[in-house]
Amino acid sequence: MAEEKATAAEQKEMEERALSVFASERREDLTALIIAFTLAILVIITLK
Amino acid sequence: MNGVKRSPAALIIGLILLIYALILKRQDAAVTPGLLIDLATYLKTTKTVSTQVGVGLWAGIIVTFFGLWNLAVPAMKSKFDKLVRGPMAGIGTIILLSFLTRYYLEPIFKIWGKNAEKTLGFDFAAMFGLNYILLGIVIGIIWVNTIGVPGWMQAGVKTARLSMKMGVITLGAMYSLTELRYMGSLSIIMVAVFVMGTVIFVLWLGQIMKTPKPLTGVLSAGLGVCGVSAAVAASPVVKARGIDMAYSIGMLLLVGVVGLFTFPTIGRLVGMNELQFGAWAGTGILNSAQVAAAALIFDPKTIETLKVAEIFNITRILFLPFIVILLAVWFARGEEEAEVGKVSIRKVLIDKFPLFVLGFILMFAFSTTGVFTPRNYELHGKHFYNFKPDEKKELRTRDLKKIQAFIESGQVTNPEVKSALEKLVADRQITSTAQTDLVLKASDFTEDKDLKKIFKDADKKVQATPKTVKTMREYMMWFFAFGLIGLGMQITWQTIRQAGGKAAVIGVIAGVTKAVLSFFVCWLLIKGTI
Repeated sequence: MAEEKATAAEQKEMEERALSVFASERREDLTALIIAFTLAILVIITLK
Repeated sequence: MNGVKRSPAALIIGLILLIYALILKRQDAAVTPGLLIDLATYLKTTKTVSTQVGVGLWAGIIVTFFGLWNLAVPAMKSKFDKLVRGPMAGIGTIILLSFLTRYYLEPIFKIWGKNAEKTLGFDFAAMFGLNYILLGIVIGIIWVNTIGVPGWMQAGVKTARLSMKMGVITLGAMYSLTELRYMGSLSIIMVAVFVMGTVIFVLWLGQIMKTPKPLTGVLSAGLGVCGVSAAVAASPVVKARGIDMAYSIGMLLLVGVVGLFTFPTIGRLVGMNELQFGAWAGTGILNSAQVAAAALIFDPKTIETLKVAEIFNITRILFLPFIVILLAVWFARGEEEAEVGKVSIRKVLIDKFPLFVLGFILMFAFSTTGVFTPRNYELHGKHFYNFKPDEKKELRTRDLKKIQAFIESGQVTNPEVKSALEKLVADRQITSTAQTDLVLKASDFTEDKDLKKIFKDADKKVQATPKTVKTMREYMMWFFAFGLIGLGMQITWQTIRQAGGKAAVIGVIAGVTKAVLSFFVCWLLIKGTI
């Protein structure tokens, strides 16, 4: 049972990594957040 | 990452982007008129040339730079190599494909759809929503199942989800509470009931049928809110994979197309009026493009049905942020349950809530404060207005004379509308949001189509989208276009075959239930005007 759980967790982690270049989802989110807000601030500064 | 070792791919892709942008720039400046500009004229994309040149040049320079670096130092060891240098060849390729779908394939299909309308009797491109979003996914699917994703591209394809998340955060800038307040109370109540009802129903169906949570989540957003775009917006929240997206989008389009054909026929058979049918189409039909198409099929002569349908459609689109948040909590709660067996909403919100959704909420809050709206601009309803006096916004003298004659005829019984029209004649243009509403209301006092058109033109002349919002929208579209091509590249026939047909079953059950219930509500309960 414990083995099954471990394999499932491992598989999930592998699947997640297979779809992203980031080591964790949180880092991917943080990167998205930083890029999107930097762009927004640049847009406001340059165009408003 | 081994595939990028000594690979000239990034350099080649970067150079293609650079050369394309430079040729387009020269031809646009009429230094050497040629094929690309002729093609842009034919495809009616000349307005996008400066964007194409800008994006092409920047992307070309960056990808070429990294391409040269990759050739000089092939070893990829650091984090920077893994996150930036390695994916660059794939990122460049997807940008090239985005150019192809946005600026060539979508306009081509638009033209084909219009041409085919004469023989088929309908515009197939509009009907099937063949826009760059859908075409991007299709291109991705075709690419991976024919050419395949070579080693040098794989890391780039894996940045698709990041791009989708950036798209969702930027989407927050397109909303404002002012828009929510503008919507009629009936449409808000009706749409709230149907959106929330469908989302909860689909989540329940998914639980009963034991479908994977990402698939259930994407389906619930798509079926509940506004079809493909809602499914796309919700996909990162529920960690949807390419296969979940493929199933959901396929099913949403299929159910949407069936609705498109059956709704107008049923509406005519039971004798619905414009208001009833508009409300039904705007609530029951899944995709925004199909809502407009169904309303026009039902009532091609006037746009009354379309107007009602769009009010309902826009209202439900405005529910998207709340559904995204709801799904984020639902998904994170499920994950937590699986891990520890007990759920704490507070813990879910703090530990599991996706950061990028917070970004979306923050962007939505920013937008509501008017940070993206420059001085002189006002957001009213779904449009931005700029009332600063300007000759370009003024009505022609003969149109003003027509309005004057209309005022003098005594047909306008509402004193507020009358004084708004008098002010319009005096100022030659609309000067406030309140006046805009009253001028548009003046159409109710006349059957004269020319006069109705003049009122509409007066409103359109003062509408102006600020550059800030236009640019944010452009970024958002690029993020989604990029992300969806990358997502498409994760869908192979083998994975589709393995997934089973539960999405279709849920789609049909939920789609039909929503259509039938909203039909009875609109047909039996809606009388008169909103």
